[in-house]
Amino acid sequence: MTKNEKKSLNQSLAEWKLFIYNPTTGEFLGRTAKSWGLILLFYLVFYGFLAALFSFTMWVMLQTLNDEVPKYRDQIPSPGLMVFPKPVTALEYTFSRSDPTSYAGYIEDLKEFLKPYTLEEQKNLTVCPDGALFEQKGPVYVACQFPISLLQACSGMNDPDFGYSQGNPCILVKMNRIIGLKPEGVPRIDCVSKDEDIPNVAVYPHNGMIDLKYFPYYGKKLHVGYLQPLVAVQVSFAPNNTGKEVTVECKIDGSANLKSQDDRDKFLGRVMFKITARA
Amino acid sequence: MPQQTPEVYSVELSGTKDIVKTDKGDGKEKYRGLKNNCLELKKKNHKEEFQKELHLDDHKLSNRELEKKYGTDIITGLSSTRAAELLARDGPNSLTPPKQTPEIVKFLKQMVGGFSVLLWVGAFLCWIAFGIEYSSNKSASLNNQALVIRDSEKKTIPSEQLVVGDIVEVKGGDQIPADIRVLSSQGCRVDNSSLTGESEPQPRSSEFTHENPLETKNICFYSTTCLEGTITGMVINTGDRTIIGHIASLASGVGNEKTPIAIEIEHFVHIVAGVAVSIGILFFIIAVSMNYRVLDSIIFLIGIIVANVPEGLLATVTVTLSLTAKRMAKKNCLVKNLEAVETLGSTSIICSDKTGTLTQNRMTVAHLWFDNQIFVADTSENHSNQVFDQSSRTWASLSKIITLCNRAEFKPGQENVPIMKRAVIGDASETALLKFSEVILGDVMEIRKRNRKVAEIPFNSTNKFQLSIHETDDPHDKRFLMVMKGAPERILEKCSTIMINGEEHPLDESTAKAFHTAYMELGGLGERVLGFCHLYLPAHEFPETYKFDTDAMNFPTSNLCFVGLLSMIDPPRSTVPDAVTKCRSAGIKVIMVTGDHPITAKAIAKSVGIISANSETVEDIARRLSIAVEQVNKWDAKAAVVTGMELKDMSLEQVDEILANYQEIVFARTSPQQKLIIVEGCQRQDAVVAVTGDGVNDSPALKKADIGVAMGIAGSDAAKNAADMVLLDDNFASIVTGVEEGRLIFDNLKKTIAYTLTKNIAELCPFLIYIIVGLPLPIGTITILFIDLGTDIIPSIALAYEKAESDIMNRKPRHKKKDRLVNQPLAVYSYLHIGLMQALGAFLVYFTVYAQEGFLPRTLINLRVEWEKDYVNDLEDSYGQEWTRYQRAYLEWTGYTAFFVGILVQQIADLIIRKTRRNSIFQQGAFRNKVIWVGIASQIVIGLVLSYGLGSVTALSFTMLRAQYWFVAVPHAILIWVYDEVRKLFIRLYPGSWWDKNMYY
Repeated sequence: MTKNEKKSLNQSLAEWKLFIYNPTTGEFLGRTAKSWGLILLFYLVFYGFLAALFSFTMWVMLQTLNDEVPKYRDQIPSPGLMVFPKPVTALEYTFSRSDPTSYAGYIEDLKEFLKPYTLEEQKNLTVCPDGALFEQKGPVYVACQFPISLLQACSGMNDPDFGYSQGNPCILVKMNRIIGLKPEGVPRIDCVSKDEDIPNVAVYPHNGMIDLKYFPYYGKKLHVGYLQPLVAVQVSFAPNNTGKEVTVECKIDGSANLKSQDDRDKFLGRVMFKITARA
Repeated sequence: MPQQTPEVYSVELSGTKDIVKTDKGDGKEKYRGLKNNCLELKKKNHKEEFQKELHLDDHKLSNRELEKKYGTDIITGLSSTRAAELLARDGPNSLTPPKQTPEIVKFLKQMVGGFSVLLWVGAFLCWIAFGIEYSSNKSASLNNQALVIRDSEKKTIPSEQLVVGDIVEVKGGDQIPADIRVLSSQGCRVDNSSLTGESEPQPRSSEFTHENPLETKNICFYSTTCLEGTITGMVINTGDRTIIGHIASLASGVGNEKTPIAIEIEHFVHIVAGVAVSIGILFFIIAVSMNYRVLDSIIFLIGIIVANVPEGLLATVTVTLSLTAKRMAKKNCLVKNLEAVETLGSTSIICSDKTGTLTQNRMTVAHLWFDNQIFVADTSENHSNQVFDQSSRTWASLSKIITLCNRAEFKPGQENVPIMKRAVIGDASETALLKFSEVILGDVMEIRKRNRKVAEIPFNSTNKFQLSIHETDDPHDKRFLMVMKGAPERILEKCSTIMINGEEHPLDESTAKAFHTAYMELGGLGERVLGFCHLYLPAHEFPETYKFDTDAMNFPTSNLCFVGLLSMIDPPRSTVPDAVTKCRSAGIKVIMVTGDHPITAKAIAKSVGIISANSETVEDIARRLSIAVEQVNKWDAKAAVVTGMELKDMSLEQVDEILANYQEIVFARTSPQQKLIIVEGCQRQDAVVAVTGDGVNDSPALKKADIGVAMGIAGSDAAKNAADMVLLDDNFASIVTGVEEGRLIFDNLKKTIAYTLTKNIAELCPFLIYIIVGLPLPIGTITILFIDLGTDIIPSIALAYEKAESDIMNRKPRHKKKDRLVNQPLAVYSYLHIGLMQALGAFLVYFTVYAQEGFLPRTLINLRVEWEKDYVNDLEDSYGQEWTRYQRAYLEWTGYTAFFVGILVQQIADLIIRKTRRNSIFQQGAFRNKVIWVGIASQIVIGLVLSYGLGSVTALSFTMLRAQYWFVAVPHAILIWVYDEVRKLFIRLYPGSWWDKNMYY
């Protein structure tokens, strides 16, 4: 019996051929042309119907949404921090002060990022009163100016190299935008070096202050031209300390509702990056 | 551990170099005496702590003092012997490696880590199942003793120690200890039924009577029982060389066939694997051409293949089968091999043994002939209504003979046991007569007491009659009554008169002819006929004090008065004809295979319907047309009776021809090997063959069969071991139950598989979309596992409780090679119809969650790469908000949960539609199967627990989902149900149409 069950290679090949095209019944892959036609027509209609149905239900779902504000914001109660220049692979910056090509990318990135902050771009923005939340009722929402000069040495106005050529690189820190977020207290960004040997970490504006006037944010659609407040960190490498990796941690401080301690989210209200400057 | 190792040895180069001699406190080191050599360089912060323990003063010593202390010389150094001594004392100058995790522990960690645990749990469950399956299988072996003559002494030794040439003595009640050639015998009869299937006790004597060793009278077989008498014999074969051992080895030599359900599951696995691999490779190619890295593409490939595997299915199938097995056990079908549950359902031929399966395995009075008339006795299991005419005075005489001319007695203490079930001392025929008379006349022993026995000649094979002389119970009648029974022709020879209607008439030609007709007729029914006669001995010749001498025969034994005939048969069980009819209507061919005589076999076959009333064998046609058997066109006959002798001369082709062309077949006088040939012949016809049997002779066939069914009460251990199923009540009708359950389980397994396969697409699509469209991953692997092994398990088992949709006993058995468990329509409908609808529904929930949190569907497209970058912590959503990686991950888990809930809700609809394949849910009754609702409830509860109970456990990637998201997929679920109802409606409306062919699975 087992002998019969094992088909020879030729036999199974012939069977396959017959399956692919059977000349006697005109079957192609086990179906006649008419059968294939019917099947294809059926699936065309059926899938057409399903596609229409899915589109319809998606449309209905989208109708429930608001164009300006997302329905829920429960998953981002507190903002994260992010640094610029945009890191390439991980939050690590390496450059050599004597080699301008090693930091050209960073400078390019910073310039690109600061473009909306130029005086030119900010011309049409409002000058808002300092130190208080700037709540608006609409229907037109205005954005507050962020004078780039607040960033002092890191503004790029005096030093187009953002300190990289001197071995005092600037890193910009920004707080994530969250619609409707109203920070309490006096929020500031505090940056410290993890290494005792590199003491010199400067933050601009003074004390890393974030002015409340930039809050709340009203969303991309309503709040056209909105500029996030920025904080710059300048790490000064002493000439003898080249080649050493420095870890800097920035944290939001001074505001009760902006969290900076979360076991799982390492970027919630804080950011840590490494800089290595070579000679 | 390995990463930490360098830290331990790291050397602080700042400051002074500290050489620290420490006692690490490690027991192992102390033992090895390496204390002093253990120099450890410690970190700065630990320095002070260790300096307190420092006992090193060598730095204060001068060179000379040092030389003295260490017994060395600065110029010449140590002597090499001294160095060797010290080395032996202190050990080598190297750091003791830190205690490392033993390799075995690492290996074990690998083995039980992660999902391997699931596999191990599975493996463990397999062990438990194995234990359960085989714990009931142990058969106790009895320690038999044999009486043997050795050293001219009679000794009792264990029968295992018998050797060829031993002279043994066996008496009534003993088991034959080996194959024995009978040397001398005294009225010995053996029960060969387990070996040959003959229900009647077989006489044994020293004469050689037949060529065939199985039929000759001078051999007794191992494991048969000596019922009465004694024999002395010589052991001619022992152990495995005995006939029974030979059969047993035949049985173990027969390979176990793969069960049909195993073949189906394999086929199913092939389909799933085929689908998985082809989709996997397709998307591998797509991924590569979309410029994914090859390594990533391979990971996708593996992911797709894994997502396609229905992890929970095999467990479900096993549980489903065992549930059915349990249900069948309640109906007296004990299933030994789980997969055999379904086999009975696909059975197309049942080869049934006669004795004990179709029949009651006890001789019973079937017919009586007196007053020139044949009367039918009730042969049902309890003999309750004997309706023949009992008013005739001939019956009075006959009943007296039956009662008195009988040596059988009930065993004492059985007053409360129904008569038919009482144990009796005596042979089968006498037992039958005793019970028959007890049922009709009442207390037989009392009657015998009133008619005191004064003399008796027991039955023997030479005179073939039994005789006894009694006093009568009429106190005024001083005559003795001589009663006699025996072979009818011998009894008739001794008679000169015949009793008709209570009157004695001379026995003339016409009455003798009537006798012969009746005798032939009853004999033709395969019954064992006995004749009865009596004689009242004249009182003057035989006074009360007369001494009867049975040896001298000082009394007349001729010119007696013939009273009647009585025939006995091992009658069919009352439930069997009905069961055979049911099998017929279920398209199952029932073939009788027996070791018994063809006439008896045919008679039983006719009475139970294996040969139906209007069909004829070749011999019947020949007789009807009065022509020779050879002249009959053999294909005109519907039925055939084939004996073992005929079978022996047939080629395999001829056997096939017989099996294919006759609808009703009886094989008689077959040997165990021939049973095997018959079963193989049936299997060559692509039939699924069930074999029932009880004797050792059946065991090879039981094993060869696709499903062997052994009898639980009458069955021998050998038969039970070889069988896949045991009928606890020995009732053939239980097989019908088994067939019904088997067919139902096949249908229900189809439903279960369809249900399980459906969601595979809903689990696979997200992955495909993730690769092609670049959405954040809609559902994670762990979530998929929770569906496959969590929410879906109980519902898919619940489908096993579904009732049949139509009368499953009125359709043909499924064709082994054509009617597959998983056929093309099933796969297509599950994958491409319902599966796809489910995927759409689940995606709707997914998109809803993302959109309401801020990521509109158009933003999600091609977001995958940015989304998954760990250092991008300001990913912008559609509203300009920015998300950190963890916030995105949490949203992704919410997406998983949403997709999970979407599938779950639609699986409820899937479960409901899978209740039926053809009928509407309303025809089937939505609430008839309560377990389905338990399944649905379990699904919802598990879903709730996962989302709200375990929502905070990050490893499981479930989150607490807003309540309204549970209802997003409900319209899709309703659509699935409506669509399936429409499908079923068209199938019912247009049977055989294109729709039916493509949509009915």
